[in-house]
Amino acid sequence: MTAAKKTTAARAVAEFSDFSLKLTRGQRMLQRLKDEDVQIATADKEVVFRRDKVTLYRYKATAKRTVDVPVLVAYGQIGRYTMTDLQEDRSMLRNLLALGVDVYAVDWGNPSRSDRWLTFEDYVDDYLNECVEFICREQSIPSINLLGICEGGVFSLCYTALYPHRVKNLVLTITPVDFHQDQAEGRKAHGLLNLWTRGLGADDIDQLIEANGNLPGELMSYVFAQMTPGATLSKYNIGLLDTFDDEKKLLNFLRMEKWIADRPHHPGEAAKQLLVNLYKNNELIRGEFKLAGRTVDLRKIKIPVLNIFAKEDHIIPPKTTQALGGAVGTKDYTEIGLEGGHVGVFVSGKSQGILGKGIHDWLLKRD
Amino acid sequence: MSESPFSFESWATAQAAMLKSMFPTPADAGGAPAAVPPLQEQFEELRDTWTESINRWSEFVKEGGAFDFSKPESLRAMFAPERWLGNGAGVFDIGLRQVLEGPKYATLFDLDRKLLELRQLATRRDQNVAAFQAVLMKGWNTAFAKFSKELASSREKLPSTWRGMTDRWLSVVNDTMIDVHRTDEFVEAQKQMLRSASDYRLQERKIAEAWCDAMHIPTRSEMDEVQRTVTELRRQVRALQRGASEPMSGAIQPATSARKRTAASSPRRARRS
Repeated sequence: MTAAKKTTAARAVAEFSDFSLKLTRGQRMLQRLKDEDVQIATADKEVVFRRDKVTLYRYKATAKRTVDVPVLVAYGQIGRYTMTDLQEDRSMLRNLLALGVDVYAVDWGNPSRSDRWLTFEDYVDDYLNECVEFICREQSIPSINLLGICEGGVFSLCYTALYPHRVKNLVLTITPVDFHQDQAEGRKAHGLLNLWTRGLGADDIDQLIEANGNLPGELMSYVFAQMTPGATLSKYNIGLLDTFDDEKKLLNFLRMEKWIADRPHHPGEAAKQLLVNLYKNNELIRGEFKLAGRTVDLRKIKIPVLNIFAKEDHIIPPKTTQALGGAVGTKDYTEIGLEGGHVGVFVSGKSQGILGKGIHDWLLKRD
Repeated sequence: MSESPFSFESWATAQAAMLKSMFPTPADAGGAPAAVPPLQEQFEELRDTWTESINRWSEFVKEGGAFDFSKPESLRAMFAPERWLGNGAGVFDIGLRQVLEGPKYATLFDLDRKLLELRQLATRRDQNVAAFQAVLMKGWNTAFAKFSKELASSREKLPSTWRGMTDRWLSVVNDTMIDVHRTDEFVEAQKQMLRSASDYRLQERKIAEAWCDAMHIPTRSEMDEVQRTVTELRRQVRALQRGASEPMSGAIQPATSARKRTAASSPRRARRS
């Protein structure tokens, strides 16, 4: 037997041994872990305002306040705000608190069939508006800093365009603005959601909502899984196996799973506006998007705007959000492009020191 | 199409020949015409009518449209797998279509019709799911072919561990399937699948509502209407409340008092100073 063959055989044995050991270690960890060990969104907070299913939280300060104007974080309806505080060492909210920012976050709750008729108008003119009014009232201030994420960024844009006096600074993260720029960079893995939505007729979307009442969270989870076939295929085998090296890694994996599993339904009528008016017809960037008869004119946004995007974002491709620069009326427009993907910007270890600090420093200069 | 020994036409020809042999005419026998007895006359009339009837049926069958079980090709078609995977679930589907697309009767079979419609929509949904999966399967085959080719062509660069090999395979699958996901074929198949799934759910609702109606239970549609009314009323009440308490809320207004307040006058700044 040649040396080369011996080396290969020895390598195979070692590999098999490592694999078996890893598998056994992982099984032990999984047997030991309970659901209560997998906690997300644990930063200390209190409920300060409620309206229907919407809850406004204020986070307990962890450092001396450095930015006077509080920040209201508005997530979208496709996913939940808990992603901003996934775990102690991966939390945009904790990072902002540690830098002396007063943070509020709005939780839209779990829409059910009875919320089918809620529209963008309800979210912008009522829920978001009432949260802002509450904070202004509570702190006796004329305006707040608004931080919108993904669809929450679209809500925030609409709100700022319609109620400009209530927003001092606008921060957007991974927010779509020009929904038809998905292939501007020609990256084939980017913008599948845009392509697939454009492939549907408006009547298909109407039927989908009529049949389900809402845009089912499960359907969106399936759609997101389809967008990354390789990762979806390997998630519960190789992906999980990779976490068996240590419990911390496994817990990170399980926390992310918990967040993904907690995907709310999107209220039906608002979903139609998102999919038809925005994704299909691209009305926001065209200046044709209307809420209760009022046009959302992005040129009316003349306050400072910080737009943060993820360079590898396959859900909101960079160009779809960078289009904002040419659409808003402000002269104080800043962009920060971060490494990572749509969710990675918030939860990856790399971005932890950058995202929160970037927002804090930008706000501090404009406080 | 070659004529089958079991076709309806050949059966009709054989019937006519048999009748002719049973009731020969004088001309057939070669004899002189004779006075026809009343009974024979009746038999001849019967024979002519029978022959005419067979001819008319033969012509009718030739007009086509009906599924002729007597033809071997028809029987073959019934059991051919492509017929079941194709446009419909074969003979069963044809039967369903005939019932559903036929005329409606005012008071007959309404629930039956709804159930049959549901069955038909389930069939359509299943077909669309199968068509969608076929598109994906084609992608998987392409990925496998690419991977095999890669293995054959770059033997020296191949990973030496199972993990390396698996990663290579996943990369090929990811790349290929994303290509597939961008094709018109995939987008169309996905659309059809979604549409037929929605249609099926709505038909289910119709049946459930028929039952609810009979049992004096509010239907989904009625609840949707109630919820719509509640949402609209709540919206109106809140708009009125906002209008009453704060005139500028709810509409775009130029910044007035809020903007005039400077940061220096905010209580927090005051507290600090």
